[in-house]
Amino acid sequence: MTGRIAAAVPSLLTALVGLALWQALASITQGLFVFAGPADVLRAIIAEAPLLFASAGITLKSATIGFVLGNAAAAVLATIALAVPRVERLISGVALVFFCLPFVATGPILRVIYGVGDGPQIVLAALATYYTTYLCLLVGLRSMPASWLDLVRSYGRGRVSEIIHVRALASLPYFTAGLQIGAPAAFLGAMVGEFTGAERGLGVLSVRAMRGLDVDMTWAIAALAATLSALGFWLFGWLGRTLGAGPPPLLLSASRQDLPRSRAAALTNSVGSFALLTVSILALWLGLMNVLGLSSFFAKRPQDVFAFLVTDPGASANRAILADSFWQTLSLTFPGYLVGLLLGAGLAILLVLRPRLAAGMLPIAIALRSVPIVTTAPLLVLALGRGAVGTIVIVAVMIFFPTLAACLEGMRRTPQSVLDLFASYAASPWKRIFHAQIPAMLPAIFASARMAVPAAFLSATTAEWLATGTGIGSLMALTASTSNYAMLWSAIILLAVAASLLYAAVHWFERRILKTFASEQLAI
Amino acid sequence: MPSADAWRSPDIVCTQLEKTFHSGGKTISAVGPINVRFNAGETTALVGPSGCGKSTLLRLIAGLEEPTVGSVQIGGQTPIEVTRRAGLAFAFQDAALLPWLTVRQNVALALKLARRGKDEAKVSGLIDLVGLSQFADTRPAELSGGMRQRAAIARCLVTEPSLLLLDEPFGAVDELTRARLNQDLPALWQKPGTTTLLVTHSIAEAVNVSDRVIVFSPRPARIVGDFTGMRGSDSAKRAVMAEVSSALAAADDGLLTS
Repeated sequence: MTGRIAAAVPSLLTALVGLALWQALASITQGLFVFAGPADVLRAIIAEAPLLFASAGITLKSATIGFVLGNAAAAVLATIALAVPRVERLISGVALVFFCLPFVATGPILRVIYGVGDGPQIVLAALATYYTTYLCLLVGLRSMPASWLDLVRSYGRGRVSEIIHVRALASLPYFTAGLQIGAPAAFLGAMVGEFTGAERGLGVLSVRAMRGLDVDMTWAIAALAATLSALGFWLFGWLGRTLGAGPPPLLLSASRQDLPRSRAAALTNSVGSFALLTVSILALWLGLMNVLGLSSFFAKRPQDVFAFLVTDPGASANRAILADSFWQTLSLTFPGYLVGLLLGAGLAILLVLRPRLAAGMLPIAIALRSVPIVTTAPLLVLALGRGAVGTIVIVAVMIFFPTLAACLEGMRRTPQSVLDLFASYAASPWKRIFHAQIPAMLPAIFASARMAVPAAFLSATTAEWLATGTGIGSLMALTASTSNYAMLWSAIILLAVAASLLYAAVHWFERRILKTFASEQLAI
Repeated sequence: MPSADAWRSPDIVCTQLEKTFHSGGKTISAVGPINVRFNAGETTALVGPSGCGKSTLLRLIAGLEEPTVGSVQIGGQTPIEVTRRAGLAFAFQDAALLPWLTVRQNVALALKLARRGKDEAKVSGLIDLVGLSQFADTRPAELSGGMRQRAAIARCLVTEPSLLLLDEPFGAVDELTRARLNQDLPALWQKPGTTTLLVTHSIAEAVNVSDRVIVFSPRPARIVGDFTGMRGSDSAKRAVMAEVSSALAAADDGLLTS
């Protein structure tokens, strides 16, 4: 017991230092109406406790329903991908494109479809959570010794028995890890859903407080959202440990694919799957709109978007508006993405030099990665203004914590025998870091870089929507309120395609690098 | 239609059996061509340099791999037909116990996979027989390597297979444990009528527990030696051991010079 307390001391110290810094910053900037210190936040929470907790309960309910639906969908998709390997690439592609849909636009459209109520919150919570679970399960359902599967087959049983007797339980650690990452994401999705014009919930209070420049309240809501998200993260971590499912060796790792026979075959293969994916998405889009019988006034079909961007008389003007605002967004998203990634990985490397500090930082980085940063967007804009810096910082912060947590975890996985080897030659810490620990960290860096792509677009467009009034986020908010749905749908398509392609590009690069430096770290 | 006797005590006939793998654009020949008959009710040890393809041969017989050329007939049936009625059991080098199940549940799993009814008495009886009665409700992580193999053997036997395929079952345990296991376990699996194939790289193990030893050349695995007659005196055993050793050494030299 004393051991556990002693182990928690560095974390507690770091947390206390953080709180002190927060309070100091608030004291220094008093009068600017930007920062509220921990004391102010506590006071605001106590003063508005009934309203805050009732609202938090409403958001939590939407988040929970969306979380359950999203993870159920992930389990079904991963099982289908496993049972029918032919369709795996297609399912993964469609899943990625849906994951890359910009909430800023899908939120308002869902609001039109559902009207008042908690439909949009639930759908966005599900959309925010399903993809990471899907990725975790895809790896988890295959991470086991081949002999376990041979055992099932040696009794003449097939794939269904494999799934029931072996794969389902073997993937449990991966599943709980996916749930753990998904819990804060679901909360974030629910809050963004509430931003789109719900009547009640923490998201509604947040927008109201920000519009009324109620600094203490804005911070109080963000703190409450962060605490609830961190609790969700912790709860599923605890569940995983209780079920005897230790953390899986690799998380969100890149998939290893069969080596194609030749370069030409690889190209044909890629072009073929890309064409199939495009056709499937279009068919799904058209089918979904028609099956649900949605009015083409707000539920645009592929041909509407095509006409709007290509054949209409004003098509070139439409394209120009869209391109302008997209570049505006991209010019802020990209620097923020790079800064967040580099700072996260860089700090992880520096912390390795100070193992004790690293031990203190890890739980805090893990706790902070679960904070729905987007919900703090109003704060950062309050603090940094409506200019470029504010958006860049929001994007960077959104990416920084998950990257830091993943990299610290990854670096801890350097095999002890390798560390001992370096120690036996009395190698300098820098040598050890460059030759042993950074290579061990590469899978974590790349997984973060990949998952950060949609996150970067989400945070940038949300900041533009809620605060800065520029870029494609603002364009989407504007066109949603003026019912210019053709433009809104065009923006959705552009963002989803851009995010998916960038994600795929990082994935491609990741596989190339890891094949050389850490082929054993690629998932099967 | 093969007779019921052929099922209860099957012989195994490999005809022109070949297996090739494709990897990174290269074609690797792992097995064959092999023509061999393993006699009903006998224990045959398959030995050869490591990586020679003898495990692949065992997997072909178990229906875990499809032959590229040729066929395997077990008592007149294909391996897949035999697995469908749980006529064979396979012991893996890593024991392949599922970590979330206890020893008892792991043994009972075989009955479940074989679509047989529950039979707690039989499961307990086998666990007793392999000397794990105190550990019946323990999970594999808490067992030693030797105990895990004992549990795996109990799982193999619970379905009363007529064909037992053992793929270096004691390959991953230390020498002392291996000696103990070799003392206790063969007596359990050598039931009258059961046809047994044992892949091993230990010459002593091969000669001591089997009726016949077949030596394979490395990749592709081909038969380079076939020995019997060690069931008699110790001197007969020693003679066979010497012969197997020199056949193996010749096969190994082939590996080095090729």
